[in-house]
Amino acid sequence: MMDRKLKGRGIAACWYGIARTATIDRAGAWAEIDDGGTGKVVTGVTEIGEGILTVLAQVAAEEMGIRPDDVTIGDNDTARAPEAAHAGATRQTYMIGNSVALASREARNVLFAELADHWAVEVDTLKAFDGELWAVGTNLKITMSEAVAICKARGVVPVGSASFTAHGTGLDPVDGSGAPWQAYVFGTQVAEVEVDTYTGEVQVLGIWAAHDVGRAINPRGVEGQIEGGVVQGLGQALMEDYQTDKGHTTTHGFAKYILPTSLDIPQINCSIVEDPDPLTPLRAKGIGEPSLVPTAPAIMNAIYDAIGVRIKSLPATPEKIMQALRDREAAKQTEVA
Amino acid sequence: MPKLKLEMDVNGKRVSRSTAPHTRLLDFLRDDLNLTGTKEGCGAGECGTCSVFVDGKLVKSCLMPAAKANGAKVETIEGLAIPGDLTPVQKAFHKTGASQCGYCIPGMVMAATSALRENPSAGIEEIKERLGGNICRCTGYTKIFEAVELARDVIAGDLPVTALEEDAVGDSYIGTNVRRLDAPSKVSGRLKYAADMKMYDMLQVQILRSPHAHARIVSIDTSAAEAMEGVECVITAADVPGKDGYGVFVHDQPTLATGKVRYVGEAVAAVAAEDLLTARRAVAAIKVEYEELPGVYFAQDAQKQGAPIIHDYAPDNLVKHIPVRKGDVAAGFAAADLILEDDFSTQQVEHAYLEPEAGIAYVDPDDVVVVISPSQNISHHRHMLAEIIDKPINKVRFIMSPVGGGFGGKEDMIYQGILAICAMKTHRPVQLNFTREESILASAKRHPSKVHYKMGLTNDGRITAIEFSMLSDGGAYGMSSEGVMRKAAILSCGPYEVHNLKVDTTAVYTNNTPSGAFRTFGGMQAQFATESMMDMAAEALGMDPFAIRRVNMMKIGSKTHTQQELKTASLDRCLDAAEQSCRWEAGPPNVRGQVRGDMGGPDTRKPCTLGARFEGTDLEPDGTEKVA
Repeated sequence: MMDRKLKGRGIAACWYGIARTATIDRAGAWAEIDDGGTGKVVTGVTEIGEGILTVLAQVAAEEMGIRPDDVTIGDNDTARAPEAAHAGATRQTYMIGNSVALASREARNVLFAELADHWAVEVDTLKAFDGELWAVGTNLKITMSEAVAICKARGVVPVGSASFTAHGTGLDPVDGSGAPWQAYVFGTQVAEVEVDTYTGEVQVLGIWAAHDVGRAINPRGVEGQIEGGVVQGLGQALMEDYQTDKGHTTTHGFAKYILPTSLDIPQINCSIVEDPDPLTPLRAKGIGEPSLVPTAPAIMNAIYDAIGVRIKSLPATPEKIMQALRDREAAKQTEVA
Repeated sequence: MPKLKLEMDVNGKRVSRSTAPHTRLLDFLRDDLNLTGTKEGCGAGECGTCSVFVDGKLVKSCLMPAAKANGAKVETIEGLAIPGDLTPVQKAFHKTGASQCGYCIPGMVMAATSALRENPSAGIEEIKERLGGNICRCTGYTKIFEAVELARDVIAGDLPVTALEEDAVGDSYIGTNVRRLDAPSKVSGRLKYAADMKMYDMLQVQILRSPHAHARIVSIDTSAAEAMEGVECVITAADVPGKDGYGVFVHDQPTLATGKVRYVGEAVAAVAAEDLLTARRAVAAIKVEYEELPGVYFAQDAQKQGAPIIHDYAPDNLVKHIPVRKGDVAAGFAAADLILEDDFSTQQVEHAYLEPEAGIAYVDPDDVVVVISPSQNISHHRHMLAEIIDKPINKVRFIMSPVGGGFGGKEDMIYQGILAICAMKTHRPVQLNFTREESILASAKRHPSKVHYKMGLTNDGRITAIEFSMLSDGGAYGMSSEGVMRKAAILSCGPYEVHNLKVDTTAVYTNNTPSGAFRTFGGMQAQFATESMMDMAAEALGMDPFAIRRVNMMKIGSKTHTQQELKTASLDRCLDAAEQSCRWEAGPPNVRGQVRGDMGGPDTRKPCTLGARFEGTDLEPDGTEKVA
């Protein structure tokens, strides 16, 4: 007689395209290095929870030579901000990140040109970081607040703007050939599960998630996207199931539509792989969607490793696990007979 | 209506208000006291976003009548710290990145605070259990657990207070764990989502939804609703001023049902009234006569001869078919030593963002129609709305309010048109907040799919050919189906170089809840099938599952399924990283679970065994079963 609770492991790999599919994607941004050595960035669309506001502030700060805390990102407003298309498609770091980088760089170049002239040094000797600006090889060093004041006293507001694009081509209507994205990411996840063969309950105990993100702007934020994607994948793998009966939903609230809670969460071990994007200034790619892709198949492969039944129809509810175990037992009996 | 006079201590202040007898504690806090940090996520005690303390006990304020809290001491997210400051729990959430969209976070902070008040030395298992009544859809909970453990250790003095501060920056802000700039506003409950916003003189909108999956609208009688006191407008399809129709790819969905309804929950009419109760009563007073039509409820039935036609423009109920062809499939299968063929299916999935749909619209002094909502695509929405309300683009303005979770589900313009028309009719600000049930009923789901798969391989594990065919239920409207089918087809056969393939993905119309964009956009449905097939092939060939993937993986110079040459490829590094980090014990996937030596490591959690801590059960405290 086999043990009641059996463990197993499984893996799955994935790939994903970055930004809008099979089209020319684009995003616009405006930037200004503002009084007090602060930064102002306006772009058409930003945060839906993934942390892009912070990523954009880091990008702008890096380009302007200030601190992320000193960056203000304007509201997402079609009448007050340049178009940056939409918040989805694992495109924000890639599309809007690069647009903000270029706009901020242009603002910095305006400031640097004025300061180089003011100090009578070559512009390429100027550096700025973390709120300070200096000329390499000299003892000239001031705060960014002072730098902006000098620039404005010369009659110049340091502003920049950018439009960033990523090319994709539409698919051929007959054979589907085409280059739908200019950047791809890859990933691999391993799942370790325990299956209760009396109840059919599957618990995921560990996930190892290795994902290429190009370049991690904020590693903790990348982990947050991986962890969130894994748990949505786990929900789809094991419990979530929107059901209708002749078009009428029978899962109209969270009492019927079951979601993962804190007690369902495996230890998630993230490995961030950085294969920089060669085509873009930031060299980052993305992580929002791909983190979800391999979770469910990795869990199904792990269930197979544990109990020898393959669930091909999601979700792997306790009822389905028990039915599969019964079917396998019946098949064995038939073989014996 | 009689009013109840309630007095309570809220966040250390004595408050006294008269309120309606049906007011929940949640409404009393949000509507009467403007304490909108406490969120409504489900109204049924199932999600925890509305958690507050009443006389020191954590309660879900959506389940408690306000009158029950009369005389009590109530503490909300706004009262945990003095304004401008944060508690150690809130600072820890900030430090670890425990807030993403932030909508569940006030409730989560309350639950975490409760956990540490009840047991300042709570271990991780107890912390998890005490957070078990609070759903988070973004974070995967992991950073939340880290935050609560960090706060516990700082409060106990086991870690210095400086542990809550930001990591120091090196020589670049790129690659640094800068704390989320929006976290303080989220962990303190200060951030205003659309449902938290109020405007002077604002009306409340409610929607009448279809009770039928497929029916002709014979007549709509709005006279009784219009005659009700406090009702400012009632709108139907007849009130749409421009060319109606929206959708991410094909504009096949009307703002309000036109001529017929195609799914249960489709918007048919809407009311704007002085308050929510009046708006709901007016919606109930609208009389619609329907003539029910036969419906299509399974994707495989949609294209059968004689199937009911759902949209006149698509007599075959086809939303989109995407073909991908490469090489010579017949020759590929002829060269195979092993051919596997199987079927896979995935279910409809709800996005379940904790913030139900909500929005405000008004007409500004320059006659610009302004819509504030958690839309994931304000750029496209303004184009579509301009057509629908027949205005130039610069007279339509979309503002994206903080999005309490989207995952693709807030790309569809399913209510913003209604808001705009109500605002234009009344020239007053209007607000619409979905209930959870309404959100589940009316919003798009992940496409359920069925995949038929045929894969040929040689004995050394190389794939020689793949035939992949996927049928998806697009539901009643096109929404993102076209794009989802395209992405599913492009990614279908996974990160492997396959020289011969035939891929078809098809979405059809049915009378089910529409399917739309959902994180991975078809990618997971397709690759679930591929990754299952890879393991089945590995078992049949006696190969390690990493090994078979390495044999086939895309490399620099590989041609993708759509014949694009890759200039970079990183699957080799991802496979290596996963294999090494999990200490993988190599071998074929032939049910080795019971003999593996690589499991149960320190990088796994213990199985959850609720009740293990109680005496008299058959479980040891560590969760293992007692041996009799």
